[in-house]
Amino acid sequence: MSFDLNLIAESLPMMLMGIGITFKLLIISGFLGLTLAIFLLLMRISGRWYLSFPAQVYIYVFRGTPILVQIFIIYYGLPQFETVRDSIFWPILREPMGCAILALTLNTGAYVSEILRGGVLGVSKGILEAGSALGMSVRQKFIYLTAPIAARLALPAYSNDVISLLKSTALASTITIADMTGIARTIVADTYAPYEIFISLAIVYMIFTFGIQKLFGVIERYLGRYTQREG
Amino acid sequence: MSTSDAQPLIQMQGVNKFFGSFQALKNINLEVRKGERIVVCGPSGSGKSTMIRCINRLEDHNDGHIIIDGKELTDQVKDINAVRREVGMVFQSFNLFPHMTIVKNLMLAQQLVRKIPKAEARETAMHYLKRVKIPEQAEKYPIALSGGQQQRVAIARALCMKPEIMLFDEPTSALDPEMINEVLEVMVDLAKEGMTMICVTHEMGFARSVADRIIFMDEGEIVEEAAPAQFFDNPKSERTKKFLSQILSH
Amino acid sequence: MDVLSGWWDDYFWGAVVVGQVFICSLGLMIIFGLFGAMAKLSNNRVAQKIAGAYTVIFRGTPEILVILLLYFGSAITLTAIAQIFSPEIKFVDVPPFWAGTIAISIIVGSYATETFRGAFLGVNPGSIEAARALGMSDLQTFIYVRIPEMWRLALPPFGNHMLSLIKDTALISIIGLNETMFVAKQAITVTGKPFTMYIVVGAIYLGFSTIITLAVMGIEKFGERTTVGAK
Repeated sequence: MSFDLNLIAESLPMMLMGIGITFKLLIISGFLGLTLAIFLLLMRISGRWYLSFPAQVYIYVFRGTPILVQIFIIYYGLPQFETVRDSIFWPILREPMGCAILALTLNTGAYVSEILRGGVLGVSKGILEAGSALGMSVRQKFIYLTAPIAARLALPAYSNDVISLLKSTALASTITIADMTGIARTIVADTYAPYEIFISLAIVYMIFTFGIQKLFGVIERYLGRYTQREG
Repeated sequence: MSTSDAQPLIQMQGVNKFFGSFQALKNINLEVRKGERIVVCGPSGSGKSTMIRCINRLEDHNDGHIIIDGKELTDQVKDINAVRREVGMVFQSFNLFPHMTIVKNLMLAQQLVRKIPKAEARETAMHYLKRVKIPEQAEKYPIALSGGQQQRVAIARALCMKPEIMLFDEPTSALDPEMINEVLEVMVDLAKEGMTMICVTHEMGFARSVADRIIFMDEGEIVEEAAPAQFFDNPKSERTKKFLSQILSH
Repeated sequence: MDVLSGWWDDYFWGAVVVGQVFICSLGLMIIFGLFGAMAKLSNNRVAQKIAGAYTVIFRGTPEILVILLLYFGSAITLTAIAQIFSPEIKFVDVPPFWAGTIAISIIVGSYATETFRGAFLGVNPGSIEAARALGMSDLQTFIYVRIPEMWRLALPPFGNHMLSLIKDTALISIIGLNETMFVAKQAITVTGKPFTMYIVVGAIYLGFSTIITLAVMGIEKFGERTTVGAK
């Protein structure tokens, strides 16, 4: 048994060809998931049970089940129904890519909404009272006070969730998508060299993780400039 | 303003307030005329903060009537906002908006609530920052300021809304001793200009020199209401005497 | 639900496998987490570096890669070793159960490392000093003061780690563990009802998640009895 560096040199470019798909999955689901999370958050804090209860159930179900199961239900499961196959969503749901993005979006939306809620709960009551005392409406308080402060508070947890999402994109390979992991699995099946292929790919993922952390560090410093005494 | 001297600016009639089964306010009756300066004192948990928080409806009352400048406080959002525009409030813990610079803190509600254009809002903000003597801090964030400076900003922020009435909820209690005076000075200036003020405070020196009337509360009730001289030198109630002996002994 | 009749037994045994993986990986995860935390807090630079690398690697690599690497990698290594002794052996592998269990405990253990480290640091130094002043030995202080105090701090995030473990068990089906995902796959080839079959899997996992959540809440309540003031 040996560690074949030539094999890595040959396979790495092939795996990196999947980088576009990995990023596509990450960015589209990340953006849609954040949008979904904001909707779920607004439902939860609306104070109306018929909005907050469904949001709570949604979050509970999607956080309580494995993402792999969610991907399989959407990709393998939904076509069981004729109504799905006849619907306008079929062009999306027929494609593994559409299913993967949908599953990742629905999943990350549930997690991120809880993260955002944590941020909202972290906004001190006194600040909102000051807003009330100045005559600001509920909507104005949310937009100008709660949202910016909560966003800053939620940012560290949110960056962790983006990293989780990056790692979850690798599961797209289970429904035939040729992202970086999908390509790696094909190469391993051919060469039977799991150490070389998987370890070098793991390093690629770690570099991306590191990049995400750095990026959020910059955003955090920018949004959090009001938390530094000097400056 | 519609207020004539005959009609009080603030009227509280038979106000009761419950937190669950705990009665925080018991049959509060209070009238404040324009330009009057009231100091409210009493032991902690006596309901004094709750009372002034009811005046701009940060707390809602369960029974009775609260009428501010002829407008009764009801559940109507419109009425509440109309009243809040005329009532400024200063909190114990300053409650500045931490994510905005000082001048933005002063401009925000002017622009959103009073719909004042940005340039004019900034001008007003700078005017009041000069009055509380910290115009040079305008572009800093609240965290960079001392407690005393933050509280002066909070007062300026309330004044920017051109309120008829100012409520102070223990404005110096969270401050280090050396910063209390700079805040009290601003409050004294405000009193001299004829602002209608209700101050919950334990600063008895301030109460004696500025207040027209002192209200002593205990267990949710107004126990005693008197001019400062009479209140300090000749209190009627035993509870007042006990309270005064406790806070004046040190 | 006629299509499901005949499959309940298989799902039940699949769920038993999930439970077994969970129990075994929970124990291993605690061990990895505690060792990681102690290494990070030790004065030994090498131990600190190793633990640091451990958390960076496994928090930055997709779970599926770790599982695949451990399973196929260990198979290759074992086969190579076995062939030294008897060259006629073609293939030896670690059972998917153990490859998967070890993989997910290593992954979640890297998160637990940070949790335990934070909890150890969160123990009030005054309590430790007080214990020393009362003449307790280091070991006694550790067992009677540090562990119980840190446990209370670590419990809420630890509950999340348990939920991660249970959900990660689903990934082990990829290397052929006959748990509920695997059962669903078999059932689908016979019945042609993928949605129904995967929904059952989702429901089973939701059940597991609920049990864990309730258990953590119960333990938290029990732990809080010392922090809630007398009434």
